Amino acid sequence: MLSPYRVLDLTNERGLLCGQILGDLGADVIKVEPPGGSSARKIGPFFQDEHEPNRSLYWWSYNRNKRSITLDVTRSEGRELLLRLAKDAHFLIESDSPGHLASLGLGYKDLAATNPALIGVSITPFGQDGPKASYADSDLVILAAGGPLVLTGDDDRAPVRVSVPQGYLHASTDAAVGALVAHHERCVSGLGQHIDISAQQSLALATQSGILAAPLDADQYRRAAGGVKSGAMTAQLLFPAKDGWISCTFLFGTALGVFTVKLMRYLAEQGWCDEETGHKDWIGFGAALASGAEPMSEYHRATGILSSFTSSHTKAELLRFAIEKGFLFAPVSTIEDVVESPQLRARDYFQEVQHPELGRSFRYPGPFAKFSESPIQYRRRPPLIGEHNREIYCGELGMSDRELSELQERGII
Amino acid sequence: MARLPLEDVKILDFMWVMAGPAGTRMLADYGAVIVRVESPTRIDTARTLAPYHNNQIGPDASGLFSNCNAGKFGITLDIGNPRSREVIFDLVRWADVVTESFSPKAMRAWGLDYPAIRKIKPDTIMLSTCLMGQTGPLASFAGFGNLAAAISGFHNLTGWPDRGPAGPFGAYTDYVSPRFTAIAILAALEYKRRTGRGQYIDQSQAEASLHFLSPALLDHSANGRAQIRAGNTDPDFAPHGVYPAKGEDQWVAIVCKTDDDFSALCEVMKRPEVARDARFQTSADRRKNASVLDEIISNWSRALEPREAERLAQARSIAAHAVQNSVEFYGDPQVAYRGHFVELPHPVYGKTIVEGPRAKLSRTPGQARRAAPTLGQDNEYVLEKILGYSEEQIADVAGSGVLG
Repeated sequence: MLSPYRVLDLTNERGLLCGQILGDLGADVIKVEPPGGSSARKIGPFFQDEHEPNRSLYWWSYNRNKRSITLDVTRSEGRELLLRLAKDAHFLIESDSPGHLASLGLGYKDLAATNPALIGVSITPFGQDGPKASYADSDLVILAAGGPLVLTGDDDRAPVRVSVPQGYLHASTDAAVGALVAHHERCVSGLGQHIDISAQQSLALATQSGILAAPLDADQYRRAAGGVKSGAMTAQLLFPAKDGWISCTFLFGTALGVFTVKLMRYLAEQGWCDEETGHKDWIGFGAALASGAEPMSEYHRATGILSSFTSSHTKAELLRFAIEKGFLFAPVSTIEDVVESPQLRARDYFQEVQHPELGRSFRYPGPFAKFSESPIQYRRRPPLIGEHNREIYCGELGMSDRELSELQERGII
Repeated sequence: MARLPLEDVKILDFMWVMAGPAGTRMLADYGAVIVRVESPTRIDTARTLAPYHNNQIGPDASGLFSNCNAGKFGITLDIGNPRSREVIFDLVRWADVVTESFSPKAMRAWGLDYPAIRKIKPDTIMLSTCLMGQTGPLASFAGFGNLAAAISGFHNLTGWPDRGPAGPFGAYTDYVSPRFTAIAILAALEYKRRTGRGQYIDQSQAEASLHFLSPALLDHSANGRAQIRAGNTDPDFAPHGVYPAKGEDQWVAIVCKTDDDFSALCEVMKRPEVARDARFQTSADRRKNASVLDEIISNWSRALEPREAERLAQARSIAAHAVQNSVEFYGDPQVAYRGHFVELPHPVYGKTIVEGPRAKLSRTPGQARRAAPTLGQDNEYVLEKILGYSEEQIADVAGSGVLG
């Protein structure tokens, strides 16, 4: 879909996914790495646990469908080369600290002076300006600043993050949306522009709009293991299964209570509780708890009944109930469950990607959507450091072999 | 008003609850004209979800609904009633993009699946988004983003290793997949611009969200390892944690990425001898002795307001931040500086507040243009201004009862 377009991807671990999305959509993405390779190549896990920059699985995860060149943009020849590349590029994505590229004469204004149609995308922890723009950052820190962290974890312990870093992925996907919006506009105006992404702001979306509690003068959500607290209520959303856990949306009210009505009637039918409990007004139950008309012990009795039902079935059996009876159950999958999922297999989701340098293939998560006319293709495995230096510098920029080896000797490439 | 970048894009939006509408909300911010169809009888679940204006439940009280649907027009139509057909077909003719987020088969049952839509307008882009995708043994598995997150592996990877899973907060895939929804629509629009062809997009919210677990999935493929929740530990950095601060449920996140960061932290804590302690020399040492070290840091942080701990650490360029809830985020000077929250006039509450557009475009910035529609708020506008119906036709539609 984006095959006519070229992307220069200067990002480090903060922004890699943005370029990969454009690459998946067909763009020619050139990853510009500092000599020695991107800092993201130092992030694990590593293939066979060998800490080697071409074996970082973090790198593999977010650099498919890209080519790689090395370039030291802090030196003047490097800067000139980047400007030459930017002249014919359609997008440039970067994630350096605000002002860093501008201090090298490579800020968006410098680039746009030679190519006014260029779309520049900056992904940073707090945005390009403001009192925290120069803050030191990490995944955990932006999760803390953006709102989701305090809501996650057990109520008697510190808030906890998802063990696989998530923060900058939210920011990188927002960046891809922004880039494509700007591209749509460019097709009319012929002009590029700069896009400024703050990971802190991106992460506020991961609060289920709970971030609006203060401005709307509403109760805040608070964290609870496998559930959520709001007002006086702690809702349990994870239940034990025979072989692990399931997630169950056991809630009340006009929309969600309908499912609880169906579930509790079934449990009564099957003898897991008495008829009276099965036919309680589950739609109005939440309001009754809030007003005190129903005691909290009644809620705990209900979750106890549900727990005794779920813990006598396996995750797979409970999933079958979800499909056949419309109960809001889902297994808490392990990684093995995910990779062996019959659903993902039936849809040919995972893609075997060949790594000829390692003599084998690896199973990558598949396309983020199925397009009927222009399906996403995995054309290239993640590049080795500078794998396409010759192809791009000599083949496309017209540099001679001698010039290239000279720049290589001097450490610019 | 300045030109908005997507003002030529017209979307007929049948999506409901959270994941789908949050995706088109992003396009509305940049000018897409979106008509969202709601059932007059089966209320959109999002309208029943917290947080509520002034903590009072009501059909237009949900801040979540309002956040996901700002900038869109709303019409109520009883899709199941054949007399709504004509209006829907006219809306299909008007639209460039048709979106829906029902469980698979619903659109087919109503005669509104892609083959049917394509007959009405061959170059339509249609996107269906649901938990597991349109095909496969779990295609009919319906529900919410907390379920898709659990079945995709997020829950088992979130929490403490000595306890059961805590899970990410709420309907996690409903925060991840909307971005991919917006991206897919924009990419298909670009393809249509160049080729004239529409197409059908089948988005599984689980499949899109698995991109956020790629390193763990590749670790399994490459090393046969099945990662599991690891609290707040990090394979590279230490200390790496969330530490108690002064006050109830107050915390500060602190990460040392280098040995220098750690020495600086020891100075900030006025414990320079800790930096020289043999147990804490390298990141690997500090990880091994994490419980001792975490206690030292906690003893320091407990006496401080979280923002004070953040300020002291950041003054030495150590990655640190107060762990913010909604009140603290709302009061964050950076959030205010960036204009994250936007106030809009609201027909019921006088005014409301939503989050503004996330991507700041320098030349053609987005904006939240109006509050989310109240139920049926734009029925007349859509029929008259968008479809160009005459007064008579409008009366006819209203008389048929399909508007509810």
